[in-house]
Amino acid sequence: MDAALLSQYVVNGLMQGMMYALVAVGFTLFFGVLNVIQFSHGDVLMVGSFVGYSAIMGVIAVGIDNPYIALAAALIAAVTLVGLLGAVIARLFVLPLRSSPPLNTLLITLMLGTVLRESVRLFFPHGSHPKRFPPLLPTDSIAIGGFDLRVDSVMLLIAGLLVIVAIHLVINRTRLGLAIRAVAQDEETAMTMGINFRFVVLVTFVIGSAVAAFAGIMNGLYYNEINFNSGLLLGVIGFAAAIVGGLGSIYGAILGGFLFAALQTVGAVAMPFDSAYKDVFAFTVVIALMAWRPTGLIAERVSERV
Amino acid sequence: MGDKTLDIENVYTAYDKADVLEGVSLSVRPGRITCLLGSNGVGKTTLIRSILGLTAPREGRITFGGRDITGMSTHRVIATGIACIPEGRKVFPKLTVTENLRIGAYQVKAEAAIRERMNEAYEIFPRLAERRSQLAGTLSGGEQAMLSIGRGLMSSPDLLLIDEPSLGLSPLFVKENFNVIQRINERGVTVFLVEQNVRQTLAISHYGYVLGKGRVVAEGEPDTLTDNEEVNQAYFG
Repeated sequence: MDAALLSQYVVNGLMQGMMYALVAVGFTLFFGVLNVIQFSHGDVLMVGSFVGYSAIMGVIAVGIDNPYIALAAALIAAVTLVGLLGAVIARLFVLPLRSSPPLNTLLITLMLGTVLRESVRLFFPHGSHPKRFPPLLPTDSIAIGGFDLRVDSVMLLIAGLLVIVAIHLVINRTRLGLAIRAVAQDEETAMTMGINFRFVVLVTFVIGSAVAAFAGIMNGLYYNEINFNSGLLLGVIGFAAAIVGGLGSIYGAILGGFLFAALQTVGAVAMPFDSAYKDVFAFTVVIALMAWRPTGLIAERVSERV
Repeated sequence: MGDKTLDIENVYTAYDKADVLEGVSLSVRPGRITCLLGSNGVGKTTLIRSILGLTAPREGRITFGGRDITGMSTHRVIATGIACIPEGRKVFPKLTVTENLRIGAYQVKAEAAIRERMNEAYEIFPRLAERRSQLAGTLSGGEQAMLSIGRGLMSSPDLLLIDEPSLGLSPLFVKENFNVIQRINERGVTVFLVEQNVRQTLAISHYGYVLGKGRVVAEGEPDTLTDNEEVNQAYFG
């Protein structure tokens, strides 16, 4: 394999890994504070990409053709509205079910995901067709050694990395992050220390969902196409990544995301079968990993969360 | 500092449908150590939970400094000047010693005040200062107890609720713990101490109540309680 092709696979794998990691971080945050699986998370991401798409179309419709203004509008709209959507989901569907079995939350959010998906399909103009997401970032390449790196890919990877660093700083360096970690470890004692539990849960859902919206825009910019059902697989992969990394651990989720993308890439490139089987290969390895380490790669020895 | 009275009037608290507290009334006067004695399962922790709003009473009234706090959400109760050292210490195992102390001052906004109180806590418990960046889960039981007390003081509360501080500690450490509680009280913090350990608790308390099966069965000054028939019955009968 020549260097150019290899570099393409590497960049592609990193990009997918970044998106999976961002989705997995949401799963792990929600599980941390509330012990629930928010199964509509992938569809929340998809809503993020459609909100971003609409904002871009709006900016273009009023005659502004600066791609960075369009991008800023997409990011602001998607992150705010989807953050709000996350808070609404937590308030209406997750918090009220707190005293019922966790299976109920899992089911209700699974159904909610279907509602989001079908709503976009039915109510978004021509929602059932894939939408062409305009390439807003410069598409020229820079040659480094034998590698050809596309500028937009590099920018997306850096932006993703910055989001991960931001999450790390919020969780570990701020008062809010301290509250999130305390709630994750012992909800009742956290309340006894004066932490407003419901507020912390809502803010956590806002953060997780806003990060998913960011991943949705990233997804659109990278593939130049968005689709009403693209959230489903991303959600399942993000969930698998969170589980294999050790549900509740942020760094486990990030590791799991990149691991899954690496497996897909290996499945597509280095295996003797057709590359269409890359997901089958990746999920099979994940299942094997789960059998080997049921609590995830970054294991919860004590009840570690977040 | 503490000049507020905690009044509990005719409180009924139930889990599901069974009442655990059946009309408890008592009063914790400012500046003193008031204790609540009672054996396992009579509802001592339930009373603490009722005060904190973790399990809202289904009937009755709880006021603190004249303000009705019955069934308020927990973070609001804490904002009125109450802090708690929970049963079993309940330090956050995956937070460092410093972070645990910080959580105790969660509602305190002034960084200077937080730092000052943290230094105070390290003065009272030098062992914690040595382990300040260690995860609380790696501390010994005794050190966790110190941390839990230090954390309870971080908000500079008017009233400190202490639930079974002697639980699971060695006799030597229990003694030291009670000394610390006495010193905290001498600095002006009102203490409501819930315990099973009769003798040592009464030795430091100014006033005591005895809880038996969801009701207050006796109350009085420590020396009258020591010879009280009901107390002996509640414990040994």
